[in-house]
This record gives sequence, C-alpha cells and structure tokens, in this order.
Amino acid sequence: MSPRNLILAIVLGTVMAVGIWAAINLQRTKAQPMTATVLNAGPEIAAFSLLDHDANSIDASVFKGQWDLVFFGFTNCPDICPITLQILSAAKRQLSESGQSPLPRIVFVSVDPARDTTDTMAQYVNAFGAGNLGITGDIEELRKLTSGIGIYFEKHDGDDESYSVDHSAVVILIDPDGRLHSLFGTPHAIENFVHDLPLLMKPWT
Amino acid sequence: MKIFLLVLTGLLSSCSNESGPPLVATDLELTAAMPGTSTSAAYLTLTNNSDELIRITKVSSPQYGLIEIHESTVEGDIARMRQVSELEINPHQSVRLQRGGIHLMMMQPMANIENVTLNLYDGKLLLMSMRTKPAVAGN
Repeated sequence: MSPRNLILAIVLGTVMAVGIWAAINLQRTKAQPMTATVLNAGPEIAAFSLLDHDANSIDASVFKGQWDLVFFGFTNCPDICPITLQILSAAKRQLSESGQSPLPRIVFVSVDPARDTTDTMAQYVNAFGAGNLGITGDIEELRKLTSGIGIYFEKHDGDDESYSVDHSAVVILIDPDGRLHSLFGTPHAIENFVHDLPLLMKPWT
Repeated sequence: MKIFLLVLTGLLSSCSNESGPPLVATDLELTAAMPGTSTSAAYLTLTNNSDELIRITKVSSPQYGLIEIHESTVEGDIARMRQVSELEINPHQSVRLQRGGIHLMMMQPMANIENVTLNLYDGKLLLMSMRTKPAVAGN
C-alpha cells in the first residue's frame, strides 16, 4: 500500500470509528430516562380497602392491568396539587397526540380523606380530563397503601377550615402487575414526563 | 383554569401622599376554585413605593369569608403549606406572590363572584383596596 493510500485508509477508518461511537452514544442517551428513577422489581402495592371517586370499593387490584401515574395530595391544596395534576394531564395529552401507546391512567389519591369525599374527588379528578381515577376513604386503609411505597403524609394543625396536609410530592409510576416501577422527583415538568414515559411504559404481556 | 384579575383601581387614600400610593399591586391573578372545592389562590406583585417598611398582616375581601397569607414549599420532595403571619415589603422593593410560593389563600367564597376586592392591612391601617374585574381563561 502506498503512503497515500495508507493515510486515506487511516482517515476513513477514523471517521467510521467516530461515527459508530457517536451513533452508539446518541442511542444510549435517547434510551435513558431523563428524570425518573427506575426501580428494579419494585414493591407490589400492599393490600388496602378504599373507595374510588364513584364510591365503589377498591383494593390493590385496581392498580393491575394498566400503567398508572399516581400523585398524592388533597383537593383543598390550591397550589402544588392542581399544578402537578395539570402537568400530568398536559403530558398525557401530548403523548396521546404523538401516538404514544400505551398511555398512563392518572390517579389522584387523597391524603385528606376527612374533607375529600367521593363526590368531591369525582368533581376534582374529572376536571383534569376523562379516565382519571380518584381514591379516598378510611385513613388507616390509606396508610396501608402509602407506607409500603414510601409515601409520606401528615396533617398539619390549623383551624377547622384551613388546615393543611404535608405530603410527598413525588409522582410514581405503577406497572400493570401492580408494582411500583419508577418515580419522578420534584420539580415536575411536562417535558420530563413526555420524554421518560415512552421509555418506561413498555407494552405489557 | 384560572381567573385573571384584570383591573386595579381604587387605591384608598389613607396612606397615599402626593408622590403616589405607598403600595401598588400589579400582575394580579386569581385561580378559580377547582370543581368540588371552595379554596383557591391569588397571586400578585406588591411594590412598596414608600420610604418605610410595610408589613401586611391581614387581607380581607367582601367576596371571601376568609383570606390568609400562605407559603407553599417543596423540600426533599415533601410539599408543605404554612400560614404566614405577615408579609414584609422593604422600601422601594417588590414582592411577587407566585405559584409554588407565597400566595393568598382564598376561602369561603360568596356565590357568583364577578368582581373581587382585596383589602390589605398594615396593623389597623388600611393600606390599599383593589377592585378587580375577573375574566375566565382556559387551562
């Protein structure tokens, strides 16, 4: 091989190597969730007995059969809770418009069941779109649901009208087997969910 | 789902001086109570045009039975909301009440509210009154 051909071969080889390296890394970057923390074999949702927003009795099996995007809060929260649910609704709408399948169901679990009746929950969750699920009920049963997946909530003393409830602000993704799959920490943003959910919600068999 | 407060008028003159009102509110926004609930939040920017520190200790409105100053925080992925006893606005400074932070917690609304008036007090002294004309905006 002449020196000229040798140089040409080295240049071509380098270009190809850089191209392959770039392609592999680009693909790897795209395939990684940007925000979500993915759990390996996350815990199964513990047994509980609560009410859905239509006042039907539900248990842990309500989380089986679909991907659920779950947020815990209370309807008298005028700020963080509606903002978070608006973010989830907007993300789901964007995913739907882009042809994503499957889509998650949005679930809002009240950590203030004393004030959040099923009727209140029905009006509230339906305001964020069709197909959402609201959950409320006995507070001890609620703790069975939350404690197994690390969700914190605690009533903060105030007067009868304006007491608040401290609560975890993470959004969790539950897989169709009813297991905690991944969680999204704060701050929440529409683009985080739009980016990560298609990577996380694989078709389930 | 929110109501934007569009018009600010009617500053009461008890604290005004010739150079203008000591406290001015701008960028007013009032979220509508979500269906099934009776609480909502109001956001605004308060500007102290005076040479004195202003402490807002009370807010009231004829259209609401109860208004409190609250602060929302999210730290360590835990959301909290606490009542704030007073809101300080330094001389010639502005304070923005905004989403995810300090806001006015609007409770016990009257039926069919069309206009909202906010009264802000510094001790017993009425600093200002705002008359607003709400308009409904989309999500």
